Amino acid sequence: MSAQTVSADDIAAARKADEALGTRKGGWVVRITIIAIVILWLIPTIGVLITSFRPEGLVDTTGWWTVFARPFQAASWTLENYRLALDTAGFGNAFMNSLAVTIPSTVIPITIAAFAAYAFSWMEFRGRYVLFVIVVGLMVVPIQMTLIPLLRLFNNGATLGGLIVFPDLDLNGTFLGIWLAHAGFGLPLAIYLLRSYIGSLPSSIIESAKIDGADHFTIFWRLVIPLSVPALAAFAIFQYLWVWNDLLVAYVFLGGTSETRVLTIALAGLVGQQGENWHLLTAAAFISMLLPLIVFFSLQKYFVRGLTAGAVKG
Amino acid sequence: MSASAGEPSGSDAGVIAAAPPSRGARGIWTFLLRLGTALAIPVIGFGLLWATFDFLRDEDANRFLVVGVAIVVGVGGVFFLYWAMNRLVDLFPARYREGVRPYVFVGPALVILGVFLVYPVINTLLISLKDSRSESFVGLENFSFVFTDESMLRAIRNTLGWIIVVPLFAVSIGLIFATLADRLRRGEAAAKSLIFLPMAISFAGAAITWRLIYSFRPTGFGSNIGLLNGVMLGLGQDPIPWLQEQPWNNLLLMVIMVWMQTGFAMVVLSAAIKAIPDEIIEAARIDGASEMQVFRRIIVPSILPTIVVVATYMVINALKVFDIVFVMGSAETNHTEVIAERMIDWFFIANHDGRGAAIAVVLFFAIIPVMIWNVRRFREQEMIR
Amino acid sequence: MRRLRLIVPIAVMMLIAAACAGDEGGDGGGAEQEEDTGSVNVLNATSAEESEVLQNLVDELITPNVEYQAEMEYSDQFEEQIQIRSEAGTLDVILLPQPGAVADQAASGNAISLEDLGFDIAQLEETFGEYFLSLGEFEGEHYGLPTNSNYKSLIWYPKEAFDAAGYQIPTTFDELIALSDQIVADGGTPWCVGFESDTATGWPATDWVEDIMLATAGQDVYTQWVNHEIPFNDESVVNAVSMFGDVMFAEGYVLGGADQTPAIAFGDAPLPMFEDPPQCWLHRQATFINAFFPEGTEYGVDYDAFPFPAIDQQGALFAGELAVTFRNSPEVVDFLERFSGVEVQCAMGGDPGLSRLSPNIEVGADCYANPVLADASVQLSAALSGEGEAGFDASDQMPPEVGSGSFWTGMVEYMQQGPDSLQGILDEIEASWPTE
Repeated sequence: MSAQTVSADDIAAARKADEALGTRKGGWVVRITIIAIVILWLIPTIGVLITSFRPEGLVDTTGWWTVFARPFQAASWTLENYRLALDTAGFGNAFMNSLAVTIPSTVIPITIAAFAAYAFSWMEFRGRYVLFVIVVGLMVVPIQMTLIPLLRLFNNGATLGGLIVFPDLDLNGTFLGIWLAHAGFGLPLAIYLLRSYIGSLPSSIIESAKIDGADHFTIFWRLVIPLSVPALAAFAIFQYLWVWNDLLVAYVFLGGTSETRVLTIALAGLVGQQGENWHLLTAAAFISMLLPLIVFFSLQKYFVRGLTAGAVKG
Repeated sequence: MSASAGEPSGSDAGVIAAAPPSRGARGIWTFLLRLGTALAIPVIGFGLLWATFDFLRDEDANRFLVVGVAIVVGVGGVFFLYWAMNRLVDLFPARYREGVRPYVFVGPALVILGVFLVYPVINTLLISLKDSRSESFVGLENFSFVFTDESMLRAIRNTLGWIIVVPLFAVSIGLIFATLADRLRRGEAAAKSLIFLPMAISFAGAAITWRLIYSFRPTGFGSNIGLLNGVMLGLGQDPIPWLQEQPWNNLLLMVIMVWMQTGFAMVVLSAAIKAIPDEIIEAARIDGASEMQVFRRIIVPSILPTIVVVATYMVINALKVFDIVFVMGSAETNHTEVIAERMIDWFFIANHDGRGAAIAVVLFFAIIPVMIWNVRRFREQEMIR
Repeated sequence: MRRLRLIVPIAVMMLIAAACAGDEGGDGGGAEQEEDTGSVNVLNATSAEESEVLQNLVDELITPNVEYQAEMEYSDQFEEQIQIRSEAGTLDVILLPQPGAVADQAASGNAISLEDLGFDIAQLEETFGEYFLSLGEFEGEHYGLPTNSNYKSLIWYPKEAFDAAGYQIPTTFDELIALSDQIVADGGTPWCVGFESDTATGWPATDWVEDIMLATAGQDVYTQWVNHEIPFNDESVVNAVSMFGDVMFAEGYVLGGADQTPAIAFGDAPLPMFEDPPQCWLHRQATFINAFFPEGTEYGVDYDAFPFPAIDQQGALFAGELAVTFRNSPEVVDFLERFSGVEVQCAMGGDPGLSRLSPNIEVGADCYANPVLADASVQLSAALSGEGEAGFDASDQMPPEVGSGSFWTGMVEYMQQGPDSLQGILDEIEASWPTE
């Protein structure tokens, strides 16, 4: 593979092989594979999309794919499902609650995790390995198991031999409580992802910054954070989605009353007692998907090639 | 943002590190003044922060205002906290400073994790040794149940399948897709978004989605509205109760998770691929490497750490899976039990706290091999840099 | 140096502590009356729609007359919510569909007994029947106030075709079997059966067994069975389950065959009855099942129902919900009295959006907008006031390991493995009964 030993002919031959295989940029193998995977991945979603526009009576009696036989028949389509789903009592309030929960619950763990990940990657301190292993191991803790001890803690505090170890914070039903909870549950993955990324930055740039006299805070803020934007964006999307679609934590820490409930809880109310109302659920699913998709699209620009590569060179 | 990143040694950075503790009376006063301001700023800052938190606790407050304040506090407040603590450390005698600073960086994370995850884990460990109402200690009785109960053993076996199949498929499909999408001349964003789509769907939505695929009605009980049985009927076959077909129903449930999680693998791996400097790949191409070689010799080794991270995450997620199994029919009658589903079942449905907790403890221990593997990688990474 | 390192976390903790010390949260429990908080929260597991209809009724009939607000809160994660919120001390009233869970709440010390709330038990026994009230009993005190029920001992049939074929409504189990044989002889399939119900798959099968158990062994043995005073593999149970098996496994009796029944959704199960000609003629299910019948079909015209016939005696199987209270304060007590009272209960019957059958014996049949419920209410009221062998759904009373676990799965296995598996399955269920 070294440049000196390869002749122009060799290069041409390799290029030809790639072209024949279609694996070159934009080649047919690339396009066909992509299209095949996309179609496979889309089929279930298309089913939901179509169902969300079908009248209730038809959803339960004919398969969603049957619409393709008569796509232009007016009776097989309706907007009623969306109207009913949007008509859910307190929809607007629930939407705002969801925002108030989701945005800080995304930003707070990212900030905290980025600092921690930097320390785990580039600072020397005792217990570094042990702490990191514990942090990552905490990813496996099922959230459901944490809820009851946490509620007890939040409501009664904790005392050990008469000494207050943990104060009675009365955090239930507050936004602060749910932010901290989501931060706590999201931190292990965030630290793990970000440490892997920040730790793989070239040590040369960190060292040269140190030689130039920058302290850790400056290196972190001026150098590491800008370089880590793709990883930060990737985690941001993920945490955003998780919190946005979360039902359980919101239920536990905010409650399900019409004042405090978030969008997922409001929409979950559309499920009938026996799990019927598919027509409404599918519409609700699309409504609640809208914002996450906008977030995904707007963060996509951070995945552009060159952003990091350019900075590393500097 | 990236333009200035190349010059980290800006003037302000130099000042902080360079200022030596000055001597003499004037020096002491300056020092005290600095100490005073340095202490006052965090205190005032915290006061303001908590005042806003108090506002945010107000359930009747205008939601727009709450959201606005929440964003400012969430973004600014947390950063301010670190900045203030960092300044505080600068006041420490020089020989302590760098010993303390790492704990300023990791401290808040550890405190939050301690409260929200470590404490409940310890609690769970205790409960796992107690009876159904967590009143009196019963020794290892719950654990002997965990490893003898027929349904639990099935759950352990099924979970093993989940942690192999799901990461394998989600990561490889995600990797292939991220690599190929990177080579599209146009439409990369659209293609990636479509794979990502399932991640944006809420759980209730996903459950419906797959019922529209797997749903079954025997002949005579109305028309089938599940796609798979629609295909079967189209082929002139009898409809099949997919979710009752043991042991294949386990695989059908895993498909759901692969469908949902591939988007995550793809996004993270794609970000890693984008971080490989163009020059390296171009150089290899100019050297005559075929695309397959570029993939095997350059892309995969460059992003191996990320692959490890994504695979680890997938294994852990597969280990924790319960909702998919829970909503897609009766796990016990279909023999699709998994460990986390048993845990929920015993803890919340059967109200046997001890058994539920013991099953959770099994989950904690199942992660140890993955952790050992990760620590090894962590050390290797530090060795080579 | 070590000590210095500790400063950071401790400082953070102290800050959090200082900032939050101001507020004090109180939680409930105990027999002393608490202050009026001006609101009553009612957590329920009905359905979002039903909860909303109930809320409207409460707003209309209770709120204008009182000082407090009552909120009906539906949760589809009901069990988790109860556990979590009873820890948090934020429960007022829950509507529990499982009497077994009432005892759990009482045993945990969080629930407050009706005696402590100041109710007159003798009077309640007159209103709801001694049997129903006794279901919420724990250590001599009562914790559950009946607020809803549904009647289960019904067999539905396609009336028009049934009459046209000249079939007669059976009044004994033998006549029911004879009718089934007659239908088979006429070239039809008598029974439509489906036991699939997501996580709860198998429950309709346990209803079958319970109906037969009541009609063969009677209320006393039934109660012993529920309380595990006789083993689950007792002769009386073996007898009841095998009678159920006789119907399921009989050649040509069940549409699709017994082994298919666990895969058929219980809501889909009755649909073939409405084909022309009917693909099946009989369907045993509770009062609410007609919500799943095809649109446009009418009770008394297209379909009808008769009581599950007597075997050794007439049984009456029902289920329902009990209100359990967690906060002793005047507005909670007032709400309970009004909610279970004749006025509100009768209005619930009058709402066409609800399928609630009042456990209050004083609520007459004329309250009901739905004729199915009106007819069933007559049977239920009679059963609750002591006529015949009334029994509350056994699987809802048994410990969850059995009642929502091995009993359901056992019956599914029975369907899949055939008549010979009976003894082994009952032995297994017996072994799964919790020892404590």
